[in-house]
Amino acid sequence: MNNSSQPPKFWTRLFQWLCNDTFYEELQGDLEERYVMNAQEKGSRKAKCIYKKEVIKMIRPSVLKKTRTRTRLNNIAMFRNYSIVAFRTLLKNKLFSTINIVGLAISMAVALITIAFVTEINNYDTFHEKGDRIYRVNNDRLYDNRDPGHYATSSILAGQRLRDEFPGIEKVVSVYNSLNGDIISDGQTHSVRGYFVSAEFLEVFTFPLLYGNPETALDEPHSIVITETTAMRIFNRKDVVGEILERNHESFQITGVLKDIPNNSHLKFQALGSLATYQTSERGRRSISDWTNMWSSYVYLLLPEGTTSETAQVWLDQLSVDENNKGPRFNIEMKMESLASIFPGDGKYNQINTVMPKENVRSMIILTLIVVFSACFNYANLSMARSLKRAKEVGVRKVVGARKGQIFTQFIAEAILISILSLGIAYLLFRLIRPEFLELNFYISRTVALDLTTNIYLQFFTFAVAIGILSGMVPAFLMTQFKPVSILKGAVNLGGNRKFGIRKILIGIQFTLSMGFAILVTLAYKQYNFALNFDLGYTTENILNVALQDNDPKLMKNALESVPEVLGASLSSMIPSTGSLNSDIASRLNHGDSINTYSIMVDENYLDNMSHKLLAGENFNTDLVNDQMIVNEQFVEKMGYSSNDEVLGERIFYYNDTFRIVGVVKDFHYGTVYNEIEPFSFVQRTNNFNNVNLRVASNDMVATMSKLSEAWERIDTDHEFNATFFSESIERTYNTLSSSMKTYGMLAIVAISISMLGLLGMAAYAAEARTKELTIRKVLGATVYNLLILLSKNFFVIIVIAAGVAIPLSMQLFKTKVVQDVEYGIEVGFWELASGALLVSFIALITIGTQARKAAKANPANSLRND
Amino acid sequence: MKGTYLGEFQEIVLLTILVLDENAYGITIQDEIAKRTGREVSRGALHTALTRLNEKGFISSEYGGATAERGGRRKRYYQVTNLGKNALQEAKSVRDDLWNSVPKVTLQRS
Repeated sequence: MNNSSQPPKFWTRLFQWLCNDTFYEELQGDLEERYVMNAQEKGSRKAKCIYKKEVIKMIRPSVLKKTRTRTRLNNIAMFRNYSIVAFRTLLKNKLFSTINIVGLAISMAVALITIAFVTEINNYDTFHEKGDRIYRVNNDRLYDNRDPGHYATSSILAGQRLRDEFPGIEKVVSVYNSLNGDIISDGQTHSVRGYFVSAEFLEVFTFPLLYGNPETALDEPHSIVITETTAMRIFNRKDVVGEILERNHESFQITGVLKDIPNNSHLKFQALGSLATYQTSERGRRSISDWTNMWSSYVYLLLPEGTTSETAQVWLDQLSVDENNKGPRFNIEMKMESLASIFPGDGKYNQINTVMPKENVRSMIILTLIVVFSACFNYANLSMARSLKRAKEVGVRKVVGARKGQIFTQFIAEAILISILSLGIAYLLFRLIRPEFLELNFYISRTVALDLTTNIYLQFFTFAVAIGILSGMVPAFLMTQFKPVSILKGAVNLGGNRKFGIRKILIGIQFTLSMGFAILVTLAYKQYNFALNFDLGYTTENILNVALQDNDPKLMKNALESVPEVLGASLSSMIPSTGSLNSDIASRLNHGDSINTYSIMVDENYLDNMSHKLLAGENFNTDLVNDQMIVNEQFVEKMGYSSNDEVLGERIFYYNDTFRIVGVVKDFHYGTVYNEIEPFSFVQRTNNFNNVNLRVASNDMVATMSKLSEAWERIDTDHEFNATFFSESIERTYNTLSSSMKTYGMLAIVAISISMLGLLGMAAYAAEARTKELTIRKVLGATVYNLLILLSKNFFVIIVIAAGVAIPLSMQLFKTKVVQDVEYGIEVGFWELASGALLVSFIALITIGTQARKAAKANPANSLRND
Repeated sequence: MKGTYLGEFQEIVLLTILVLDENAYGITIQDEIAKRTGREVSRGALHTALTRLNEKGFISSEYGGATAERGGRRKRYYQVTNLGKNALQEAKSVRDDLWNSVPKVTLQRS
């Protein structure tokens, strides 16, 4: 018969799919017979057309499959049977079950952390009723032809002009991040963190008031609104409207009490003062009318419904152009950012609070997926390896009448059972690691709590089921493909080496991951150590930095200096080499040259105290007025002077003042390993100090500390003595490095242990499956060593390939992700790369070796007697 | 009793099977119905009727010879059971009864 006499294949297939099996033979036979008849009489085209119509008309209840009604009764019994069989298999193969469950549990614990973490992060700022219409105005600072600096802040002036001149914006909220410090009530001092905000704040954001009127609470100057917890702390009751608080010798009246701020708010505060307060003082008025004073104030917009952010962006552009045309010290471009994209954010400067970088969330998800997939691979691998043992069961089930779908369901159900058992262990592990995780870095500790809600429990459970399905998929599919006849004949060959190929690839991927993580840990650790022990060019050893906390610098310095263990003391505005930087443009007087110059303000003792090396000139002279500066070599070079001596006595316009250069100091690392050395200067000042730097020599640090603390309390009883060793501050600076080290370290351990578990299972299986072969070889004279080689050979090749892939990949990852901005990085040599890979290979070979040795050492008589 | 009722189409199918005697399977039944009543019945519709008749116990079936044009599939031959024959008789007698009761005059077309 030629092709034209065949009815359309697709329609036949369709009919077969929808037709009840009992009628299929009869009906398809009739349809085909009719088709042949028609084809002869009316031509094949017409016949095909009729055939299609006939198939469509077959869609009626009497013809269609009735699977649902038929299987509903059986299901419960079937599922009971599945779970009994699943439990029996679990108990029968204790080693493999343990490997599967432990592996899955470890990876799931990591995943649970991630789920709780991501849920919490994504839940940020979702409680604002008008949230979808709220935007923040960000500033891009354009300056010096460099890449623009992205700031989350905007000037108060910008907020004011947006409010006055752009009626298309429904509400403008200005926030000034400066209500920090002490508040006095009844002679008691309380420390409070908060903002000065414009009156619209409570209308735009959803922060409900317990007491007071939200519409007028922040209208008047010297109004303050506090949260209920703060009210309890200060007054020991909540209804405190009308009470008076004192701050900086000004009285504030409490006009409202807020419900506590939810954890998931990017705005975190204990008190809100009215921004109108600022307009009452001359200094305040000046600071809020400067376009470039954009460092600590924020502008939020509420757009009317129907207005897009693009429209508002046009208004912002207009305003930016207008202000930039007035020739400010630097140009600013304002940008819209929706409330939802503020947290997690993308690393803008001057965020109002710690913002979790999007990058962190993303890399966490990716790393977790890697670990979870690795564990799923294990499950798939081991179940496939074991599938031979279960082939007979599948065969019998099929013969008795199980459909493919049922076999599939059975194995999926088994995988789900295992993953739910693992969930139990994973949950315990989760409780165990949670505190560690929260300590991992300050982003995490400041923004999330990982509290468990019903929603999160539900997600955990769904996740476990999903993992079960995912890991059971491949083995279940493999099982359904078995042909009952060949299984029962005992002639099953699972596609032989081809399937083994998949398993080898899976193991290879796992090894690549483990080695990659191990290498990354080594590299991160090296870089971290390098940064800590980096030669900064001055001494940080035995330097204790004491935060002044608004005390009189001279007074406190003298008090602390009186402790005999203190060898030297100096004052500084900030601690260099810990990441904080301060800069302004320095220009030569009567000369065009100007360069961006970093600085810290110090007193005359600082250079000696920190063992800075003066190359020319001399230290600050205290007898002369406060106009002296000491610059570094870079300054001399970049400013265009030919020698160190030439700059002495030069006059420099800097920080709106004129300074005289009195000395040149040797270049040192005032920044971190992330910054290159650029022009820098020490500026002489007598105020504006925030730290006392003590050089301490002591054999008993605890005693010295308590002496210092006593000295502190003679001056200040309100604040706690707060001292940090310089080296500790530097350690804290490299927190990101150490936390990525910890993260990779943890993941390396997880990934390595999971892949080792998988390998252990595979090696055990390989040895078991080849018992007879090994014994025969042994009887014929093979040594234990020969057998070891024989069994390890395959795995060895995989390990070598994995190392080949892992080394360049992790190297690349380290360079692009971990140290992308580092100016002073480590040299990556052979051992840094190889050590991780070698370690993993070594553990792997031991794992395989123990299994192989066990098989090789077994008494041949035992296994040959088996038949 | 529900189920013993014989629909009009079902009655025709039953009678056709009787007419075809030994050779009653899907295609022939369809053709015979087409030939005698001029109704083009789809195989699906016929299947529904046959299923109903089978459920009521009016017909029985057995597999018969396969042919090449059927793709090697067997035919299913249908026979009317005694119960089916009774049902036909009953339907006929009800009708006859009714026919006999109609006054002759009324039948004449006006």
